Parts: sequence; structure tokens; C-alpha cells
Amino acid sequence: MTLYVGVALVVAAVLLFIMQPVVKGLHASLEREDDELTETEARKRVALLALRDVEYDFLAGKLDEHDYRSLKSELTAEALAALEADEAARQGQRAPEDSSIEAEIARIRAGMKAGMVCAECGFANDEGSRFCSSCGHALAA
Amino acid sequence: MTLLGEFALWISLPVALWGMVLGYAGGRTQRGDLVLSAERSIYAVFGLLALAAAGVMAAFLNDRFEYWYVANYSNRELELFYKITGLWAGQRGSLLFWALLLAFFAVICVFQNRRKHREFMPYVAGVLQTILAFFIVVLLFADVNPFARLGFTPANGQGLNPQLQNYWMTIHPPTLYLGFTAFTIPFAFAMSALLSGRLDARWIQLTRRWILTSWLFLSVGIVMGMRWAYEELGWGGYWFWDPVENASLLPWLTATAFLHSIQIQENRGMLKVWNMSLVLLTFLLTIFATFLTRSGLIESVHSFAQELKIAFIFLGFMGGMLAACVVLIVYRLPDLKSENQIESFFSRESAFLFNNLMLLGAAFTVMWGTMFPLISEGVTGQQVTVGPPFFERVNFPIGLVLLALAGIGPVIAWRRATRKNLQRNFSTPVMVGLVVAAAIWISGARHPLALTTWGIGAFVLTIIVTEFWKGTRARARIEGEGYASALFHLVSRNRRRWGGYIVHVGIALMFMGFAGAAYNVDERHHLEPGETVEVASPMGHTYALTHEGLSVSRGGAMAQRNLLWQAIVNVSVARDGRPQGLLTTEKRQYATQEMGSPPMTEVGIKSYPLEDLYLILSELDNIESAVLSADSNEQGLYLQVLIKPLVSWIWLGCLILAGGTVVALWPSVDRRRSAEVPAGAFPEPATAGAAD
Repeated sequence: MTLYVGVALVVAAVLLFIMQPVVKGLHASLEREDDELTETEARKRVALLALRDVEYDFLAGKLDEHDYRSLKSELTAEALAALEADEAARQGQRAPEDSSIEAEIARIRAGMKAGMVCAECGFANDEGSRFCSSCGHALAA
Repeated sequence: MTLLGEFALWISLPVALWGMVLGYAGGRTQRGDLVLSAERSIYAVFGLLALAAAGVMAAFLNDRFEYWYVANYSNRELELFYKITGLWAGQRGSLLFWALLLAFFAVICVFQNRRKHREFMPYVAGVLQTILAFFIVVLLFADVNPFARLGFTPANGQGLNPQLQNYWMTIHPPTLYLGFTAFTIPFAFAMSALLSGRLDARWIQLTRRWILTSWLFLSVGIVMGMRWAYEELGWGGYWFWDPVENASLLPWLTATAFLHSIQIQENRGMLKVWNMSLVLLTFLLTIFATFLTRSGLIESVHSFAQELKIAFIFLGFMGGMLAACVVLIVYRLPDLKSENQIESFFSRESAFLFNNLMLLGAAFTVMWGTMFPLISEGVTGQQVTVGPPFFERVNFPIGLVLLALAGIGPVIAWRRATRKNLQRNFSTPVMVGLVVAAAIWISGARHPLALTTWGIGAFVLTIIVTEFWKGTRARARIEGEGYASALFHLVSRNRRRWGGYIVHVGIALMFMGFAGAAYNVDERHHLEPGETVEVASPMGHTYALTHEGLSVSRGGAMAQRNLLWQAIVNVSVARDGRPQGLLTTEKRQYATQEMGSPPMTEVGIKSYPLEDLYLILSELDNIESAVLSADSNEQGLYLQVLIKPLVSWIWLGCLILAGGTVVALWPSVDRRRSAEVPAGAFPEPATAGAAD
């Protein structure tokens, strides 16, 4: 007898608990919360962390000057793109499509390949530049 | 209580199915009420399974031998402790225990995410309930119901296998199960990402801690199993490549691969399909491991026939899951495109990739070797087992490459490493490795595999120690801190990185410990009472072992522990002339052993930093007279003396590995703030205004 009462109580409690939201219309949120990392934020974070790592590697003596500069300018360009994308997303604008970020990166890469990275500030200039668009330092031809 | 538990198990099935349907439906229709109900059903299933588990425990504690499971794994004399752990002593109970742990993790997951990551949760709830429902179906319908009755009530139970009455054996299975079940959460998130199409790296970031937790429990659980084998099985080894061990190793290998490859996805946006496949594979292997260890399948195809039902349900479920995942991945292929390419063979990406290939290669070998007896029996009717030589020939080279990668990975540059970068970082460690190997060679140890392992181990340790040293020094210089606080801040600023390095130290120590087995000493001596024998160890020590007499006890109070008799030999140990106290090794006959089976052996182990002394009471001159008459305790015996170099390095390595994983797991105080890069860590980029 006690057994049946126990079972009945357990069944009733379970039913009440799981049916209540459907019957009473209690809703769980299905939206992303405001304070969560968005995709663009996550990208920004990864890019900045990568920059931090390169900085650390250089200070710890694991990278030499040349490797450091070339890696850093590459990562800076990516981080800037990520920052801009995040800023755009944050201001409620439509974030630039992935393809435009990729185009930006491709442009910067091309600049780097052509040796247009400023030795002073690491900015990647367009091909054929003679002075750095960012700091005005003369670029080696 | 037991009956209530049985009812609770039955009730849990419709509840789990309800949650499964509502989870998927809620995700599809985006209806919050359905999702809330699905999430609540997870809490409910956990409560019901807890009731069921309590029911099984009550049956054990009350000696309810009318239940098949209790009758087969307990008896009146069993110690209370083992009655409580009886829940996971056998197949039926451990399947219930498994489901309970899974429900427990599911509850934590739902509770943690009650206000965040909501867009993932509908399908997460659905997937979790699918897996729970599967286990409940197995429990209820595959002839493994722990509540099944015998139809009569035996006066006493069969008792628990004495070899399972060991401290390690009570915590080793739960630890492994925790590892297996915790991996279900990342799997559920991965499925949710596939189902909902949110395929950026977020599901990985959200489940990183779950992955690490699972990995931690898996690693520790496997090593605990090794420790149990070492202490209890009494032949001095810790790993046999037997199917049960292999089954636990398989998901560990793929989980380790996954742990590394997700870093490439996070940092470089590559390998998305690969990661999805790995998470699926690891999950299926955890299920496969349960299946293998708990179905008796592997001993023979014949037991397969007896366990047909459970085999079909398991294989059907695994097949279904596999098919569903493959379909989903193919469907989402366009969204799983790689954002980058590997730029150079000499880069961290390629080191990671290589690590993945090695781990998967090892997993495949182990899988093949484990399944081969079954396949051969199925095809030819002859069971051909592949012994340790097969596993070792393939896995030793793979292990060495992996060990080397544990050193290379942390310091090789992302994207592409230049020759100067390689020289700068690797010349010293390579030198140290060579010097260590050469020194050991000169000291007389010439085993090629062991030498290579120690050389590479020294290489890895040098790299990691150098990393810590360089990082601490750089930080101390920049921040003007003392070295201790610089080290502390260095690690706490990037726990994930440094925690990982600590794990690599543990792995290197464990490998070096494994290599010690090349110099095992194994001698058998006959000793009369009072006689002394000397055994030389490869480390240059001499052990003098003296037979100090035999003490035999029988019946009476020992019935409490199911013991018929126990013969303990006392051996006094001196190391290089210095006394080290007594070491005992014994033979035991249990009442619960089958008639005529030989007595069990308990070994005596004395651990030193560089070697273990391991004594096995091999044989008594006259066991009958020792056991039957009280005055014949003074008799000769055969003592097997094993000296096992570096075994304690394995346990120490595992502790360090666990410590490193905990460092990597430790939650940040404020996740969002720690995501930001502190000012001053590097010069502000030119357009700093664009940052917050």
C-alpha cells in the first residue's frame, strides 16, 4: 500500500514538474543573452590573444627581430580587421560580410608580399607606396 | 525502497522520451515552453535514476538475494563498503550507474546554462535525453535489468570476486565513467551546433571545460586501472593490452586528438569538419567502451550469441548516431569551410595535425588489435589473438613521435617557423636530450627504445622548463616582480597554455617511467626460514631479503571478509646494507572462490624514487600443512623478486598531468574581463580608438 502511495506521489510530482511549462505557458528564453561573447567579439579576442602571444614570444627571446616584425604586422592586420568587424557589429550595423574581411586580409597580405610593411609601425601599405600611410615613414623600395 | 526504485526506472523512460521529443520540437519551432519542459524533464530523469540507484543499493544493504544482481555480486559476509560500491561491481549495476552519472552531468549542464547560451539548449536537451533514453531502454529491455528477480530466494549470495575487493577497483570504474559520460556534453553541444547551424567556434569555447573535465577523469581513471593491475593482479605489470583496457584507451586517444585540434579551429578557423568528426568518434568510442567492457562480447563470439539483445541495441544505437551525424555534417558542409590554410610544414598547425594523425593511428591500431580476435573467429572460426608484441611494435614508435611532439608543439611558431626560429628554440633541448641519452649509454644501459625514450623525454622536459623560465624572466623584467610572483602571474594570466605545458611534463615523466620496464629484474628464489637472498637492481642497489617466517590464520573472525585462510610471509628488506623494515606478501583462499581454484596472491611493494621492489609469494613448500596445522608455519617457500625501475614516475607523472589539467580548467574570475588583453602587454595598435 505504502508502495503504491509512494509511486503515485513520484509520478504526480514528475508530471506536475514537466507539464507545468506547457500547460501554464512558462517560457524559457531561446535568445542569446546580451553579455555573451558574440562571434565578432570572439574573433577579436582570438586575434588579440595571438598578438599577445607573439609579443610574449619576442620578449621571451623565442622569436628574432625579423620573424617578430613580419608575424606582428600580419597579425596586426588581422586584429584590426576583427576589431572593425566587431565595432561595426556593435553599432548595430551589419557586420562586413566575411568575404569583405577576407578581401581586406588578402589586400594586406599582397602588400606584405610586396614588402610594403612599414618597418616603423607595422602598417601594411598598398602595393607601390613610397611612404607609410599610417606614420609617414619612408618605405624601403 | 527497492520496488520504488524499480518503478522509478520504468517511469524514467517515458519522461526521457518526452524530453527528447520536446527538445527537438522546441528547437525546431523555437517555442520556449516546450524547451523549458524538456529541460525540466532532465532534472526529473536524474531524480528518477537516483531513486533507482538507491533502490539497488538498498537491495545490497538488506541482502535481498532474490534479485539476480545482488545474489551474484554480494553475500552476507561482504564488507559494508563493498556492498555500497556493489552498484557498479557488475554489468547491470554499472549500466544504471552510467546512466545516473550522465543524468547528473546533464543536470549540471542545464543548470549552468539556464540563463546563457540559450540558443544551443533546445537541441542539447534533446540530444542528452536521446542518450539517456537509450541507456534506460538497454536497462529495461536488454536482459540487464538490475531489478530482475531469480524467482526464488537463495540463502546467501555468490559474493564479490576477491580481486575486485580492492580500494583502486572501487574508485577506478566510477572515475572512468565520469570521463566517459562527461564527454557526452561536448557531443550534445556539437550536435546542437549542427542542428541549429551555429557552426562558428562557439560550441567549442562553451564546452572546453567539459572536454578537459572528461579528459581529466579519463586519464586518471585509466592510470587508476593500471595501479589496480599493478597491485592486485600479482604479476608485476600494469598494462596488458587486454580488450577492457584498450576500450578505455580508445576514447582517450581520440579525446586527446580533439583537445589539440580544437585549438587550430579556435586560432585559425581550420579543421571544422575534422573536429566534428572527432567529437562524434570520441563519443561513439565511449559508448563502445561501455559496450565492450560490459557485454562480455570480446571474450568470444559465443558470448556474443548469448548477449544478442544488448549487442543489437548497442550496435543499432551507435549505427543510428553515426548515420545521423554523417548526414548532418554533409548537410552542413558549406558552413564548415576552412577559413585558412596551413602555410608551412614547419608550423604549430602542422605539429598539431601530425599529433592528430599519430593519435588516430594509435587508436586505429588498438581498435584493430582488439577486434581482430572477433573478426578472425567470425571469418575462420578460429580465434586468433594478437598479443602485446603487436600493440607494442606499432604503438611504441607512434608513442615516441607523440612524445617528441609534446616538446615541439609548445615552442614551434604558429603559421610558419623560420630556420632561425627553429635553431633558437630547439638547439639546446636537442643537445640536452642527446647528452642524457649518451650519459645513460655510458653508464651501461643500452636498450635502444628505452634510450630513445629517455633522450626524447629529457628534450621535452628541457623545452618546458625553458619555456617557464623564459616566461618568468621576461615577466619579472617587464613588471618588475620577483620571480615567484612573476611565475604565478604568468601562469594565471594564461592558464590554458601553462596548464597544458604542465600536462606535457606529466606525460614525459610517464613515458620515461614506461621505458623503465626495459630493465625489469625478475628472479625466483627458494628461501628457508631465516635464509637471506641478495638481488642486484639495475640502478646499482643490492637488496638483501630475509625470510622471517610465515603466519597463517584461518576461519573464525576472517569469515567477515569471506576468507578461509590467509598465509602471510614476512620478509625483512635491507638495501645496500641499510634495513628497510618488513615487507609482506601472502596467499589467500576465499570462501567465494570456485572449488579447487588456486589461492589468490597479494604482493608486497616497496617504492623508491628510481625503482620498486616487488615481492610475490610464488609457492609454499607444503601449503596443506601450513594451512591445516598451526605448528607448521616454519617452512620454505619460493619468492619471486621483481625490481621495476621508474614505476613511481608513472604515478607521479599522472599526478602532475592531473594538476596541469586542473590549472587549465580553473575558472577565470571574470571571463569577459580576462578576455580583454591588459594594457601594456603590447604597444597599442595604430587605430587604438577602434577598441572599446
